[in-house]
Amino acid sequence: MSSRWSESVRHAFAWRLGLWYAALFVASTATLALVTYLLLGRALAAQDHDVLQSMLTRYAGEYARAGLPGLRGLLEADASEGRHERLMVRVVNDQAEVVYFATPPGWTDFDLSGLDEPRRSPSPWQAIADPTGGAVLELGSVDLPYGVTVQVGRSSHVRDELLRRFRERALQVGALVVLVAAIGGLLLTTAGLRPIRELDATLRRILRTGRLDARVATLGSDDPLDQLGTLVNEMLGRLQTLVGGMHGALDNVAHDLRTPLTRFRNVAEAAIVANDPAAWKEGLARALEEADRVNATLTALMDISQAETGTMQLGYELVDVRQVTEQAVSLFADEAEDRGLTLTVEVPDGLRVEADATRLRQVLANLVENAVKYTERGGQIALIAAAAGNDVTWTIRDTGIGIAGEHLPFVWDRLYRADASRSARGLGLGLSLVKAIVEAHGGTVAVSSAPGAGSSFSFRLPATRPARRD
Amino acid sequence: MRVLVVEDDRSIAEFVAAGLRQEGFAVDVADNGVDGLERCRAQPYEAAIVDVMLPRLDGLSLVAALRRSGVDTPVLFLSARHTVDDRVKGLQTGGDDYLTKPFAFAELLARVQALTRRGQRATEPTTLSIADLTLDRLTRRVERSGAPIDLRPREYALLELLMRHPGRVVSKAMIVSHVWDYSFDTGTNAVDVLVHRLRDKIDKAFEPKLLHTVRGVGYVLKVE
Repeated sequence: MSSRWSESVRHAFAWRLGLWYAALFVASTATLALVTYLLLGRALAAQDHDVLQSMLTRYAGEYARAGLPGLRGLLEADASEGRHERLMVRVVNDQAEVVYFATPPGWTDFDLSGLDEPRRSPSPWQAIADPTGGAVLELGSVDLPYGVTVQVGRSSHVRDELLRRFRERALQVGALVVLVAAIGGLLLTTAGLRPIRELDATLRRILRTGRLDARVATLGSDDPLDQLGTLVNEMLGRLQTLVGGMHGALDNVAHDLRTPLTRFRNVAEAAIVANDPAAWKEGLARALEEADRVNATLTALMDISQAETGTMQLGYELVDVRQVTEQAVSLFADEAEDRGLTLTVEVPDGLRVEADATRLRQVLANLVENAVKYTERGGQIALIAAAAGNDVTWTIRDTGIGIAGEHLPFVWDRLYRADASRSARGLGLGLSLVKAIVEAHGGTVAVSSAPGAGSSFSFRLPATRPARRD
Repeated sequence: MRVLVVEDDRSIAEFVAAGLRQEGFAVDVADNGVDGLERCRAQPYEAAIVDVMLPRLDGLSLVAALRRSGVDTPVLFLSARHTVDDRVKGLQTGGDDYLTKPFAFAELLARVQALTRRGQRATEPTTLSIADLTLDRLTRRVERSGAPIDLRPREYALLELLMRHPGRVVSKAMIVSHVWDYSFDTGTNAVDVLVHRLRDKIDKAFEPKLLHTVRGVGYVLKVE
């Protein structure tokens, strides 16, 4: 339902955008054409009028100077020179008789009867419409002495024809404009909505396949749609981390719980077939131990997953570094003493860090436990905390068996054991938990070691709570 | 002393009820939240052990309703969830203590005893003793067969905890929280080491042996 809804909205939006573009394009082109047409018509009319006026002056002057023969001569001369300008020339004498009437070729008959009437308006200009067509005869009259009137007229049909052609052409071009507008609108919509379509396609692909590794193609520009894509990518990234973490956790839980559960089962099975109360008791005791181990593994895996996916709730408080460090160390003080290890703690006075005290203690305890576990009798373990700029650093250095270079990059991995002996005490989760918790606090972990030369594990936390990324 | 167990898992409910009866408690069991709430309102209990996830009415709501109706029976929450947030929520709604599944019965018992004592706070004797072992809580002096034993502070704390619960199994978690004063739940063997050291001092040169390991459960101080 929602997909159909988004589809229709998308189409409606695309349509609207395209239509608006086309309408605007057509309207502005039409306006431009109309204005051009009107201006052209007016300019042509003005030009005709100017020609008419100058010829009227010229012919009236010639008639006044040389009479009818002179006018006729001038007209012929003009015609032969191509200067007749398609004029109608008419001379009327004082008896209202037409003494001269010349028409240009292609002359349409205008109704000239009105010309013989005495002019009412003082203006020398008249316009006579052609009853059949749309042409207009513009006519200027000059009254000479002795009642003679010289009239020069010009039909508008030439410029009408010009304008008609212009209109025709304009309509042809107009059709082209509509086509261009439609194509332009389509292209614009297509190009403009491309990021949205890509977004749409990406999200659909994710919904269809359930794979979160798909990303929207982005250019990294300031374009809002591009930024939307970037945001969606960022969100997908977080989802992927989250889902990946959950998958990983599930895999690990399945894998890591089956082993102790199998032992659990074997122990119970062996006890029940035995016919010996002592064996029963032994079986029950081991079953309990295995149950505790399953529980510890589960807790550690959940902690790691939560820390890695950012869902671990950290109760930030101002922690006294010396106190928390000594608390963690105190758990192993007896064991270290029993094993003849020198365990020293060095923390500057008043050093504080904003962190989750319980989790920080867990980190320290895991590292100290590791150091104690892998350092042989008579060895030394030094735990040093220090302020470093805006961070607080801890370094746990031991003189233990060390770690070979090829194992170093993997010591933080879940269940990784350098000695490959899965039967060794411990869960193999300690260091991954350390890393996950430190990173959840916005810190970093590091390790350096060489076989026989001991190991140095260190981590660094921001002294103040890092601002939440939003 | 009458306690109520509100737990929908029958096996767990029976395990807890049987254990508590053996310790001299009278135990009622309710297998859902509504039933539990009604029983709690109908009858005063010394303590209630309430699972957080319950059918019909969850444990948190049950306790919230109980507190609203003015019943202040001490409540120990049981939950399979294991985050600090859950603990805080449980205690905020009016719970008095919180225990995560899976748990050792010894620990549940200790907590229930702490809850039922909370009201009366019986004055504990200043001198604790078992067999020929004595511990003076005022002078912090420990003797076995009249000979003084020199204990480190953590060893003393462990012995005091064990002597306060003679004959009862004390879990590792209880020891960690009592001796180190903060909760810690990795598979550390710190407790084993400490017990081993204490055993060296109070048992090694003496008979009978007093400090026994109950494998998979904890430790107990008793004359066998």
